[in-house]
Amino acid sequence: MVKVPSVPSDPSQGVLAALDRIADQLERPAAELLGRCQRFVHGSTVATNAVLERRLAPVGLLTTAGFRDALEIRRGIRADQWDHRAPWPPVVVPRSRRFGVGGRIDVEGKELEPLDEDEVGAALDHLAADGVQAVAICFLHSYHNPTHERRAAELARRRWPGPRTVASAELAPLVGEYERTSTAVINAGLVPVVGPYLDRLASALAERGLRAPLLLLQSNGGTVPVEALAARPVHLALSGPAAVGGALPAVDRLVPPIGDRSQPGAPSSPRRMVSMEIGGTSCDVAVAVDGSVPVLDRLELGGHHLTVASVDVHSVGAGGGTVAVIDDAGLLRVGPRGAGSVPGPACYGRGGAEATATDAQLLLGRLAPGPAAGGAIELDLDLARRAVVDGVGTPLGLDEAAAAAGIITVLETHLRQAVETITIERGRDPAAMTLVAAGGAGGLHGSTVARALGCRELIVPARAGVFCATGMLDADLRRDRTRSLLGDLGEQAGPGLAAAVDAEEEAVRQLVRREWPADIEPAIARYVELRYPGQLWSVRIPLAIDDDAASLRAAFEREYEGLYGHIQPDGRLEVTGIGVVATGRLAEPPPVPPPPAPLGRPEPDGRRRCWLGPVAGWAEVPVNRGAGLRPGHQLDGPYLIDDETTTVLGLPGDRLAVTATGAYLVDLTSDTGGGGRPA
Amino acid sequence: MSASGTQRGAEAVRIAVVQARLDHLCRRMGWVMTRTARSPIFSQSHDFSCFATDRNGVLVSTADGIPIHTGGGGFAVRAILDRYGPGGPGVGTADGASGVIADGDVFLLNDPYTAGGNHLPDWVIARPVLVDGRLVAFCCNRAHQSDIGGGAAGTYNPVATEIYHEGLRLPVLRLVEEGRLREDLWELLLLNSRTPELLDGDLRAMLGSTAIGAGQVADLVTDLAAGAVGGAAEGAGDGRQDDPGGGLDGALAALEAVCDHAEARFRARIAELPDGTWEASEHWDDDCFGPADVTIRMALTIAGDEVTVDFAGTDPQVRGFKNSGWVNTWSAVSMGLASYFEPDLPRNEGTFRGVTMRAPEGSVVNAVPPAPMTMNTVIPAHEIVHLVWRCLSQAEPERSLAGWGKNIFPVTAGRGTGDGSGEKPFVMYHWSAAAGGGATGDRDGFNQIGHLIALGGLTLADVETAEQSYPVHVRRQEFRADGGGAGRFRGGTGIEYEVDVNAPARWSFRGEGIGRPTGWGIDGGGDGAGGELVLRPHDGGPEIVAPKYGLVETGPARLLARSPGGGGWGDPRDRPRELVARDVRDGVVSVEQARSQYGWDGPPGDDPAGADSGGEVAGR
Repeated sequence: MVKVPSVPSDPSQGVLAALDRIADQLERPAAELLGRCQRFVHGSTVATNAVLERRLAPVGLLTTAGFRDALEIRRGIRADQWDHRAPWPPVVVPRSRRFGVGGRIDVEGKELEPLDEDEVGAALDHLAADGVQAVAICFLHSYHNPTHERRAAELARRRWPGPRTVASAELAPLVGEYERTSTAVINAGLVPVVGPYLDRLASALAERGLRAPLLLLQSNGGTVPVEALAARPVHLALSGPAAVGGALPAVDRLVPPIGDRSQPGAPSSPRRMVSMEIGGTSCDVAVAVDGSVPVLDRLELGGHHLTVASVDVHSVGAGGGTVAVIDDAGLLRVGPRGAGSVPGPACYGRGGAEATATDAQLLLGRLAPGPAAGGAIELDLDLARRAVVDGVGTPLGLDEAAAAAGIITVLETHLRQAVETITIERGRDPAAMTLVAAGGAGGLHGSTVARALGCRELIVPARAGVFCATGMLDADLRRDRTRSLLGDLGEQAGPGLAAAVDAEEEAVRQLVRREWPADIEPAIARYVELRYPGQLWSVRIPLAIDDDAASLRAAFEREYEGLYGHIQPDGRLEVTGIGVVATGRLAEPPPVPPPPAPLGRPEPDGRRRCWLGPVAGWAEVPVNRGAGLRPGHQLDGPYLIDDETTTVLGLPGDRLAVTATGAYLVDLTSDTGGGGRPA
Repeated sequence: MSASGTQRGAEAVRIAVVQARLDHLCRRMGWVMTRTARSPIFSQSHDFSCFATDRNGVLVSTADGIPIHTGGGGFAVRAILDRYGPGGPGVGTADGASGVIADGDVFLLNDPYTAGGNHLPDWVIARPVLVDGRLVAFCCNRAHQSDIGGGAAGTYNPVATEIYHEGLRLPVLRLVEEGRLREDLWELLLLNSRTPELLDGDLRAMLGSTAIGAGQVADLVTDLAAGAVGGAAEGAGDGRQDDPGGGLDGALAALEAVCDHAEARFRARIAELPDGTWEASEHWDDDCFGPADVTIRMALTIAGDEVTVDFAGTDPQVRGFKNSGWVNTWSAVSMGLASYFEPDLPRNEGTFRGVTMRAPEGSVVNAVPPAPMTMNTVIPAHEIVHLVWRCLSQAEPERSLAGWGKNIFPVTAGRGTGDGSGEKPFVMYHWSAAAGGGATGDRDGFNQIGHLIALGGLTLADVETAEQSYPVHVRRQEFRADGGGAGRFRGGTGIEYEVDVNAPARWSFRGEGIGRPTGWGIDGGGDGAGGELVLRPHDGGPEIVAPKYGLVETGPARLLARSPGGGGWGDPRDRPRELVARDVRDGVVSVEQARSQYGWDGPPGDDPAGADSGGEVAGR
């Protein structure tokens, strides 16, 4: 496992540098490693950063006449209405490059007015003169009837060949001209940026001997060979955090449940899980139900709205580098601003002077002063103390320990609320879930947050600091396809619905035949989206071949009741969409090793005085080095584990077991614990 | 806690956590409401607010909700306490400190004259929270119902002249009595609505959301009483911190202390402003029935850390339904103040303790019965927010704000569907014709945005969705040229909107933004263009110029709207030339206006990249 800095000017250099580092570490030539490599998965922020940093290529846009401003009107969506002085991000395509052209398809897909090809031609002439590098086309109701879009794309491709012309319905055949346009223009703007990067990387790796396909992690949490993304780089928008889609199910598979699954209160199989990955600046939370992380067909990135299949990840500004300040009326505020990687927490000694969560943890004895992260940094207790005292303690009249405890208490309130947002807001009960605490700072907060939520089980995965990166290796190939289809369930169900889904399935099968390695047989899942009339959110219901309206209604009502606690008996149901997901397994995962023989309780390597929470207060806590723990070892809280990529805090009452694969499995039910509820 | 509200010691941590938990539980109530309510007005327009008060009916959090509800929630709970709380007349046997409020009770009210309501369509469900038998708080949901009877479907009756024409008036009612729903009352409510199924579903969603909130408040109070909230300091150091106090009394004090913090923040902010009095006025030329001359005046005085808002000189209440009562006027003033300052300013009732409001009785901002007032959360709320902004813009010009255009679009009702499959009744709000927003010193105005009283917190529908839902064909939704007020930051352009309604329809007009400009410019910025609205019947009948207010019935017809622009900010001649050139290239500012107002000296027919002709192609 290695980490290297990225090279913003040419990110492929960063990838190659990491390879060289691994080769050094293993004392093997890089070429040999690549030659023997069976799977190469790449998560890349190149598309994400191009959007966030506004480095998209210049794009032209054709729309239905009268609607060229939909992209800039943005449906008026404001992230925070009270922050009304904040501008929207600059529009991706300025109005002078947006052209409305004649031709109209109606709501039922019928042509009302033929496409005006002269106007298309004139608009393309202007765009060519203006030097745009790609063209996006979005006509009204093209999700229903794409013929006008296809014809206009044909004309455009004479000048902007292949992926440089983007037809909205080819990318996302969904209702909603704003979101569809936004997705099409961002994809178009990414094609000239991401394509060359992927080409450079693929050829550099091939030159160095890679024979396995280069797989990219997509926003949907699945992978795809690099060639497929040249035409749809927008599917990389969430590459990175989306790896939780592979990581969480892998944790469930590898970590055995506590006790017997048949016992009341034992976790379900597969487990319902919620993960917090806490890094330097943010905490990403996600849930897994029924063995997978939900994938939505919408994503917000830098204020842009995209209809792209994306793992449902919620992110808040709460991490190790999160800054604590006192507001002008004397209230302690923690985040969302962070100190970034430079200067980082004050205790890193890189010039940071503001108090951060990491500084507070150091003062509370949860982190040890001295070398950390494999010697990459040195935690300086005096610098932490100065920052916390000056920034929080003195203004509030608190001593350093109380100030540090206050910072952690407020931070953990935000963490708990982040988990509640992705669970309760989506109709799931966190108390019935296993909390997975990952990321460099996850192990310090896992037990406190899990106890506050009422969880019975906590898992700190092996190599928690690189949880998502390892998750990429567990990701399947995946292709999502969703299409809007509206109507009453009663009218739609039956042969009509089945035929529509069959058509989507055939389309997906063709796509994966083209995109995936030849020997991979896709597993197909079909679904239909249903809701009660008037509602904004639909519920996805798996669709079996022989489903009829009655069985779909029953499945919907079961799911809906679980989410919201009630149903409307005999209420009319609307179909809003259908979809197909193809997944492909590249190789069977290695077998789960048998449970280790109990090794009992290891001797601690030392002790630290550490603050355990508002109720348990301060205590001398035994410390174990992670490297000294073996599968089968057990610890009873309170304890601290100094691991290579994380530190784990156990509260009184926690019962930890090291699993066969090196994860920490914590039973929180043995008593109420002394940590108390966090606030 | 010191009276000045500045936090010290462990209390600073505890209050931070209490406010965060209160805000979060209000948002949780909102999630439940959005997910389970039946009417699109909740799931799509978020026309509701979830809030919590302390045991005295003082608003402690209003984190969820539309801005125009800000600050008004406490009146409803205080009306309940006046009736049923300790010392109130009550009903039945008084029960000590909680009056006759029992565990499991839930209250309902709406009347703006007698029950702390803002206008009749907004019903408040208020659920008292009891811990160990003591009243500790209320969790509430104020939500705009789909129909409450009255003279017109859909709660807005533009021809009402008395509140009795506007729907069912509810005093403080005990809707649930110790956990038992009062079925007779429930039937009475449903019987008085044209949409009983929606009302039934939505009221249940409101009950559900407040139940979730109440459980969370009870947990918070229990944790506070146990010393498990932000008692971080205890035992953490050498013990020289002040003790925030445990037990139920300490918990209740902590709940109330969040208001002290908000008060301190707001007062500190006001104290930064110079002392003085600033005045502004807004005008109507229509009273919903014809021409009228109505002025709303405001004098805003700052003295130290106190604000006084005085509506002296405001004209008497009008015949039509755009009067406001005390609660809604207070809410609009609160929103105007809160929205002027930093967005992270706390917004509970403590924030506004330093604010005094005076409004002449019987005026359009403090009407007396039986004046109708259903329009008040939009008009005159828009005017009141504008007045606060205009006064503060004189006190602190560096944060000045230009006016937002007032809306003009009607509501269309009839029978039919988008796909021609049925004859279902429909009610369509033409939000696609929403107006432009005003500029600030940070940005141009939004060219099109949901209305001011939600500060844009209302998502507009897609045209594709509208065409599926209603028997309509939308022909155009594009920026106006020269619609935005000129300025160093330009006002929002407003919109050209054309739609064919392909069914006989009833049009309910409430277009305060028709005619004169309503989005005024500030600090040298120009006004946004006024709104225009006409109807062209498909049968070739004479064009109908829409009235500002009223009801019109037509056969299938085309609606043509030009929505008002927002005001500009600062001298247009200071606008960077490249932005003027961009606006000209984009076709949102004409060459003539660029020359006359922006002092632009770009060449005639300036056509960088051939985009002007592009605009012509596009502007069909």
